[in-house]
Amino acid sequence: MDQHDSTFGVQLFIYDLSRGMARQLSPIMLGEHTSIVVYGEEFFYGGAGISSCPPGGTMLGPPDTVVELGNTEVTEEIFMDYLSSLGETTYSGDKYRLFEHNCNTFTNEVAQFLTGNKIPSYITDLPSEVLSTPFGQVLRPILDSIHIAPPGGNVISSQNNHS
Amino acid sequence: MAENSGTDPAVETNTEENAAASATIIKVTVKTPKDKEEIAIAEDSSVAQFKEEISKRFKANQDQLVLIFAGKILKDGDTLGQHGIKDGLTVHLVIKTAQKTSGGGSSQTSASSGPGPSQGNTDGSANSSPAGNLGTPQGSAPSLTPTQPPNMLAGFGDLSGLANLGMGSANFMELQQQMQRQLMSNPEMLSQIMENPLVQSMMSNPDLMRQMIVANPQMQQLMERNPEISHMLNNPELMRQTMELARNPAMMQEMMRNQDRALSNLESIPGGYNALRRMYTDIQEPMFSAAREQFGNNPFSALGGNTDNSGAQPSRIENREPLPNPWGPPDTAAATTTSGTATTTSSTTSSTTPSVSNPLGISSSSLGNGMFNSPGMQSLMQQISENPQLMQNMLSAPYMRTMMQSLAQNPDIASQVARPSFPKQQLMQQMLQMFAGGNASTPTPEVRFQQQLEQLSAMGFINREANLQALIATGSFGDEIWKSYSAISSRLPL
Repeated sequence: MDQHDSTFGVQLFIYDLSRGMARQLSPIMLGEHTSIVVYGEEFFYGGAGISSCPPGGTMLGPPDTVVELGNTEVTEEIFMDYLSSLGETTYSGDKYRLFEHNCNTFTNEVAQFLTGNKIPSYITDLPSEVLSTPFGQVLRPILDSIHIAPPGGNVISSQNNHS
Repeated sequence: MAENSGTDPAVETNTEENAAASATIIKVTVKTPKDKEEIAIAEDSSVAQFKEEISKRFKANQDQLVLIFAGKILKDGDTLGQHGIKDGLTVHLVIKTAQKTSGGGSSQTSASSGPGPSQGNTDGSANSSPAGNLGTPQGSAPSLTPTQPPNMLAGFGDLSGLANLGMGSANFMELQQQMQRQLMSNPEMLSQIMENPLVQSMMSNPDLMRQMIVANPQMQQLMERNPEISHMLNNPELMRQTMELARNPAMMQEMMRNQDRALSNLESIPGGYNALRRMYTDIQEPMFSAAREQFGNNPFSALGGNTDNSGAQPSRIENREPLPNPWGPPDTAAATTTSGTATTTSSTTSSTTPSVSNPLGISSSSLGNGMFNSPGMQSLMQQISENPQLMQNMLSAPYMRTMMQSLAQNPDIASQVARPSFPKQQLMQQMLQMFAGGNASTPTPEVRFQQQLEQLSAMGFINREANLQALIATGSFGDEIWKSYSAISSRLPL
């Protein structure tokens, strides 16, 4: 059950943004930035769309936490097709919403696609927690217009370069 | 239980499956990146059958379908039960675009992450080469060395990496704006950034600063309207001084106070007050209407816009120089005034003005034309005006108070503030209340006119009380205007 053809390890990189340089970069991020690492690459979603880079290669440096999500049989080719479709539709750059549709949303979806597992719930619950405070409500219009895109990645596009 | 009669509306036509299924029909959600569909199928169907169903629903060739469940690729020969696919579960579907290689090729040329046309190994190298262009930023995140000199954000925590990222210059501006927004929302971050020695060193490079400022489209607009700004930008001496000031918030405040003092001094000249007044009305009319048309009905933006218009001030200040000013300090003050207002201007235009003390007023106006016009900011403004409490809370932050005072002291802004034609009356009144309610921090007349009093007594007018009276009578602009504003506004139907 473990290894059919060949499986690929899938990891979740969690960047705790409340410390260090990351804080200067995205003080509003309020929490965690996450990305999926598979096939030796790191994939994440930001204001620029779906991007990828060598693992730990974004401005944020190495992750604070690495969670093993399991293995996937999905080949890279299929995954790339999948990502391209995602990037065209629900995960294009302009659809980024700091609270409801952010990097963690993406990571969660991809994790489920690849492994059937979700990412730890404390990450996905964070936005709704913040939104439920009056403070969060007030800041919402500003925050909605903020797109976080940790530099250091390349945008994935299918046919043409739409970043 | 077994609805395999074929007449069940929930089940799609497939009689085959119904015949084969003595088990229950389950509803499986099939999810593609683009959409998802619920497909009813017999529990013990094979994957092939499932795919057949899917190909009908999604109008794709069965060969193109790749089904994934729990990280496993479902092969045609498997059954759904084998993989544990039950009612209500979600299966992922990827529809392979038949032209794999061309897709890979084109994406490679389009500087994306290279979804390996030759799956796997080359990706690593393909990625590292475009990423390699970034040089330092990628590898050593904390390193703040601007490896790319033409890159303007080099000092700002290495966001320079982004500019080179095949994202194009359009995104660079976006990022800049994004950064501004972040900066605006967090003054601490701004002061952090300002303290960064790299930023400081960058700011000492007038060329770089100028480049940066000029590159901003809003600045360019501004410059068209107010040629003085470009004048000022082209004057390296001025730039340097400005940047000095921008680097040092305390200094900037000092400047502003000097300026105000200079102005008050001028008021003390017989007839000087009137001259000043004339000047203000002459010059501010066009400035104000220009500001208004730029910023729309947003009182805050008008506030900020004023400091923008002070960009036109260099011409005004220079005009004032010939005005005789017998009192000593104003000579230097005039000089500092020039740079002071210019400071105000350039510091308004510099997005990195330390705004610990001026988060909204000064720095935002500059590139913050864009900021205030951003829908987020505007809706925030709306919220604020609708909810006075929020405004109070905002304003009660310590730095806000300082800012308000600096603004108040600057007669320009005070007069702008007082314009009765402000649309958001309520908001303005509240702000004025804040000014008034600045209790101990608002200087009493004696304190305010301290310097003038000293000068007067130095000149020989030893009757302090009379001096005070005289000074109060002419008053500072702010007072006068505020009074007339409340008078007028109380009469206005708004």
